[in-house]
Amino acid sequence: MLQKIASQIQKNKYAYFFSRLLALLLIVIVLDAACGGILRYFYFRQSSGWNYRTTYALEQTTDSLLIFGSSRAVQQYHPEVFENKLELSYYNCGRDGNFNLYNYAMLQAVLKRHTPKIIVLDFMKAQFKENPAEYDRLSILLPYYKHHPEIREIIHMRGPFERYKLLSASYPFNSTLFSTLTGNMAFNEKRNPHIKGYVIFDNTWDKPVKTITAPPPAYTIDSTFLRLYESFIQDCQKAGVQLYIVCSPYYELSPFTDYSIEKGKSIARQYNVDFFDYSKDSILISQQALFSDSMHLNDEGAKVFSARVAEDILRRSRR
Amino acid sequence: MLFNSIQFVFFFILVTTLYFVIAHKYRWFLLLAASCYFYMAFVPVYILILGFTIVIDYFAGIFIEQSKGKKRKMFLVASLIANIGVLAVFKYYNFINDNLTAILHGAGYQNPIPYLSILLPIGLSFHTFQAMSYTIEVYRGHQPAERNFGIYSLYVMFYPQLVAGPIERPQNLLHQFYEKHYFDYDNAREGLKMMLWGFFKKLVVADRLAIYVNVVYNNAEDHSGMSLALATVFFAIQIYCDFSGYSEIAIGAARVMGFKLMTNFNRPYFARDIAEFWKRWHISLSTWFKDYLYISLGGNRVGIPRWYFNLFIVFLISGLWHGANWTFIVWGALNGAYLVLAIVFKNFNRKLNKISGLDKLPRLKTIVQVAVTFILICFTWIFFRAASIGEAWMIIKKIATLKGPLYYENISTLLYCFMAAGFLFAAEYKVQYMKGSFSLFNNRNWLVRNLAYAVVLILILLLGVFDGGQFIYFQF
Repeated sequence: MLQKIASQIQKNKYAYFFSRLLALLLIVIVLDAACGGILRYFYFRQSSGWNYRTTYALEQTTDSLLIFGSSRAVQQYHPEVFENKLELSYYNCGRDGNFNLYNYAMLQAVLKRHTPKIIVLDFMKAQFKENPAEYDRLSILLPYYKHHPEIREIIHMRGPFERYKLLSASYPFNSTLFSTLTGNMAFNEKRNPHIKGYVIFDNTWDKPVKTITAPPPAYTIDSTFLRLYESFIQDCQKAGVQLYIVCSPYYELSPFTDYSIEKGKSIARQYNVDFFDYSKDSILISQQALFSDSMHLNDEGAKVFSARVAEDILRRSRR
Repeated sequence: MLFNSIQFVFFFILVTTLYFVIAHKYRWFLLLAASCYFYMAFVPVYILILGFTIVIDYFAGIFIEQSKGKKRKMFLVASLIANIGVLAVFKYYNFINDNLTAILHGAGYQNPIPYLSILLPIGLSFHTFQAMSYTIEVYRGHQPAERNFGIYSLYVMFYPQLVAGPIERPQNLLHQFYEKHYFDYDNAREGLKMMLWGFFKKLVVADRLAIYVNVVYNNAEDHSGMSLALATVFFAIQIYCDFSGYSEIAIGAARVMGFKLMTNFNRPYFARDIAEFWKRWHISLSTWFKDYLYISLGGNRVGIPRWYFNLFIVFLISGLWHGANWTFIVWGALNGAYLVLAIVFKNFNRKLNKISGLDKLPRLKTIVQVAVTFILICFTWIFFRAASIGEAWMIIKKIATLKGPLYYENISTLLYCFMAAGFLFAAEYKVQYMKGSFSLFNNRNWLVRNLAYAVVLILILLLGVFDGGQFIYFQF
């Protein structure tokens, strides 16, 4: 019987082709599931590195004070200073090169299982500027797509076909081979040390302060970024989280205002949320030794800056 | 529409399925409509330019065939002027104007000719050259003029090779639109296999290496000689995989429907000298220049100085074909100079091989020849990739010192690049030097063969760069 079917399939060229294609598809599905399964296992076993910190922030942190933002969040908010001054446990959920989309997805995942007391959101110049790379960088959240339905809406923003690509078990782990490998090795902890998500930068910036003389060029706003910023505020308020939005200092002297910062302030005001703008703080900017580069404070700078932020938070919370 | 997009996957499946479902007499119309849609997915209005050259060349072909003597030549010249005119306006006008401005500025005058604010239509040089090959072949009597306007339009617009070649000849392609193609398992398998390998080259190798190349070359001044040298080698591999990847997807997509397009690449980096490299690299363009320009200039059946001139001028024009920038012209000139010098020093080279003992060590000789050719070609790629001659010169000076640390923002970026290049090298080496040995992709065991295909697919999913964007050669 089987031989008869096989011989009939062989006679029909379309049936022969599609039977072969189907068999190949089955092999691909099995191989994809096996590779995806192995990679998933090792990805979530990591004990150091960026992926580990993202997984911890997303799935495990139960700390009372959480920091959100990009590299400026990661290396400028010193845990010891905040913990001592505010007497709250601390974790830094920030990630290099990730802004609005990542922050919002992270907030969704955190609020689903835990309500922190305070969230500090680091805000940047040109935060709302159109930036297609921000959508691409959502790839770092793909491993969490399967078990975190709350972040799927954000991940779908990567493109109209993203949900179909994610039917594959391997695709979420695209380009994670080496980071997963090192994240599972002990030496990586020494190579990339962090304190509760805070990363230490101890070098000192050796260039003189930049003086901006021409107004920065106008930029196009991404309405999704604006919407998500507003939703971030609304969701924090709905969950009863005290939110503080902070724009940390830039090592430059500029008489010009940034559209995103002004817009960010005005939206925060609308919701009665504190927006601390240190972007032009003359005390911090006058101390070159506190900077690691023109956009980031070093460890010493982080301590000084964190003390200022913590005091401002204390002062506001006493009111 | 980009080949490396999900939209193309759906487009390809739909068009191929419909192609075999509908009656043969309607197939050319389906392919023409699909090709128009494919082209209009980029900038819709540019189809008018394509339409203009198609109409001109269609009638030119018929007039050339029907005329005799000087009239015949006149129609050919008119057609060539129209084609080259379109290229000149859209591709070279602003470049020529730029240089005129510089010359006049140097003489203390202002250039009164305005600049044109136009975008270069995608793949213009490719379909223009394909159209020109048609009128030339009709003129030479090698190809009868095509009477069916739709079929002729399809010859210029056939979607797999419309925007980046291979640049076909009418003798090879036109008659295939009349032939009834039946679905063939071997064609479908071979075509899909080629497409898979093309996608691997583009997504896993080219776009991965592009990450490092772009970071270093887009800010060349701030990078060390070491980083620039590595970025140049990576660029050599990137451009090869980007372009040959495209060609393989194009040839494969056509093959599934039963069309046989010409081979465009034949593992060029295993070439042992520059002449061999050009027999293996962008074959459809190299042969175009050989058939229609080099031979028309007299080829090698002329005096030695004129032969050298012919070789050099063909490569100079080939450089200009690639882009309206002095960097491309220098790139072409360098390749031309290499070829001329190779002929001049042929005897010296032979003696050198004898004296050094390389002749007695054929394997070592091949390695040395391949390595030297690769280095020479890499040197030309510096001009191809740099934004200006000045920048290229600065890069060369930095590379010459090989000073400074190797840049990498993240070590994994480099590791992925080496991994991708390693996969490519292993696969190409196997085909080039181990033809009769164990083969995964052509294995007689069905399971082994399919496992190999599945592994390539999984590697694309795991290592592919899916935000890489368009193909480098689209801009030409």
